[in-house]
Amino acid sequence: MPEPRVPDPVSVLVVEDDDTIRRAVQLALERYGYRVDVAADGLSGLEAFRAGGYDLLILDVMLPELDGIGLCHRIREESLVPVLMMSARGDALDVVAGLEAGADDYVIKPVDTPVLVARIRALLRRATFQPSQSPPPEAPDHVLVFGDLSVDTLGMEVRLAGRPVPLTPTELRLLLEFAAAPGSVLDRRRLLREVWDYGWEGDTRVVDLCVLRLRKKIGSGRIETVRGFGYKLVRD
Amino acid sequence: MALLNPRALRWKIAALTAAACCAVAAVIGFLVHDATRERGLRVGHERTITRLIAAERELSRTGKAPPDVDVRTREELPDPLARDLADQPETGGGYATWYDADPPNWFWMWGAVAVGGDQFLVVRDDMSTEVRSLQLLDRSIVKSVLAALVFVVPLAALATEPINRRLRHGARTARRIADGELDARIGSTGRARDEITEMSAAVDDMATALQRKLENEQRFTADVAHELRTPLMGLVTAAGLLPETDEATGLVRDRVRALNALIEDLLEISRLDAGAERARLDAVPLGEFVADVVRRTGTGTQVAAGDADVVETDPRRVERIVVNLVTNAHRHGAGPVQVTVTGTRISVRDHGPGFPAALLEQGPQRFRTGAGERGRGHGLGLTVAQGQAGVLGARLTFANAPDGGAVATLDLAPGPSGTV
Repeated sequence: MPEPRVPDPVSVLVVEDDDTIRRAVQLALERYGYRVDVAADGLSGLEAFRAGGYDLLILDVMLPELDGIGLCHRIREESLVPVLMMSARGDALDVVAGLEAGADDYVIKPVDTPVLVARIRALLRRATFQPSQSPPPEAPDHVLVFGDLSVDTLGMEVRLAGRPVPLTPTELRLLLEFAAAPGSVLDRRRLLREVWDYGWEGDTRVVDLCVLRLRKKIGSGRIETVRGFGYKLVRD
Repeated sequence: MALLNPRALRWKIAALTAAACCAVAAVIGFLVHDATRERGLRVGHERTITRLIAAERELSRTGKAPPDVDVRTREELPDPLARDLADQPETGGGYATWYDADPPNWFWMWGAVAVGGDQFLVVRDDMSTEVRSLQLLDRSIVKSVLAALVFVVPLAALATEPINRRLRHGARTARRIADGELDARIGSTGRARDEITEMSAAVDDMATALQRKLENEQRFTADVAHELRTPLMGLVTAAGLLPETDEATGLVRDRVRALNALIEDLLEISRLDAGAERARLDAVPLGEFVADVVRRTGTGTQVAAGDADVVETDPRRVERIVVNLVTNAHRHGAGPVQVTVTGTRISVRDHGPGFPAALLEQGPQRFRTGAGERGRGHGLGLTVAQGQAGVLGARLTFANAPDGGAVATLDLAPGPSGTV
């Protein structure tokens, strides 16, 4: 059921080469109150993205000109906007490639509109969540320091050796989850629940690949894999 | 294993070799024994006659027989000796002999000759030396045969080892192919161009042909499913846009859902067939998990999860299996459907007519529900469940309860369980 329109519409860019899907997704998301722009191939998708600050991007993987994975790479060089990949190929390789390129989540076609909207909402929640939700605001020590890595839980800023590290909202939520319990092992299921807002229906691969991306940004030794259980932040 | 199996080829060949050895030894032994015995008899015979001639000469010279020679009447002769004497031609000197091999006088060579009137010279020659040496000969033949067998049988068993190894390798490879390792080949082992090489080559050819066929089929299914997903996505989304109030909307959406499920099942089966699936393990508290999954099917199924374990398994696959089993129970069986979780086992039971006999015998087959008139299913759900269970290393069994109703049991084969 379409929800009442939000006063300030969230803008979404859909890059999809199939005419029917493009139009139908646009119409469906508009019914849910989103402002939806569309592009039919990778290059025009990139142009559209550069032209207008979108809150969220939905990318098809198989696109003419520039495929979804290449497009995602290019976007990540410039922006931390949430990206949702949409693919007709559900094989492990395609999923992994999309997530490694920096997508925050992926869905496999065909996807019901309510499911798509739920994914979009979860992504936007991560992007816009209030810092006061996670650590207690009255904590005097709102800057957590792990060696040369500092996490400002109020200013939502992460610095590595004094220099700010650009993190996507998903990566930031993941890091905050680790920072809240340094040294203790967090299993993938819990991370999927806390960071992605998924229950059992989620795929834990998104956790693995987000951890991988986070490691690239803050140093590979900082988050350890505990085989068979999950991950932990090294206390340092 | 093969070493202990008494029916192993190795022991059969060894036994055959032993039998052949024994047969040859028996024939040669018999010939040698016979020839030696003949010679012994001839020697005894000549010795007896020599003694008779000497006694005859002694008698004619001195009128008295030597002390070791009896003079008897015809009645006093042993019967066989008397008969032989009667058979002797008059001209040949008339020396009769009889080899007495019966108790109590055994192994004596009797000799007799007529010396006029009713008088006969009778000598007895002891043949026990010949007999003993014959016995010694027999014994030594048997001993040598046994000694030869002690070497020959293990040698024969050892000599079959290369053949055995090639056969075992072939059997192992065939089994690996059967287990889904389609790339496995026996290959040409050794330079021998024998029947085993021939059979290995034939099996390899067969495996290649089957693999090509299978891969073509799998690729086709996967391609079809991929190509179908794109228009389906448009259809699904567009169907979502139809006005809610129209009755036709419900019909369209229902069929879109059915089509979607069918394509997803097909795609999943083709992935399972290709062996491309890997389990992603997580510690899953089975009781809560199954209860949650069953609740989400919205079928009003009862769940009893008393003493469920925490199992290291792939929750998405378990969910897939449980949902398919529960859906199948509602579609083809009859309520109430009960799900019970005990330890690492999940059983789904309905109270319908039970599984068809063909399914119990052969397991689930695609598009063969065996109950076409009742259900609307396409027989893929259980195939998917079976395939997913295979990926998990779990066992999915189908049975009918004695008091009616189908029972499907998934045993996640207790692995290392931990806590969440």
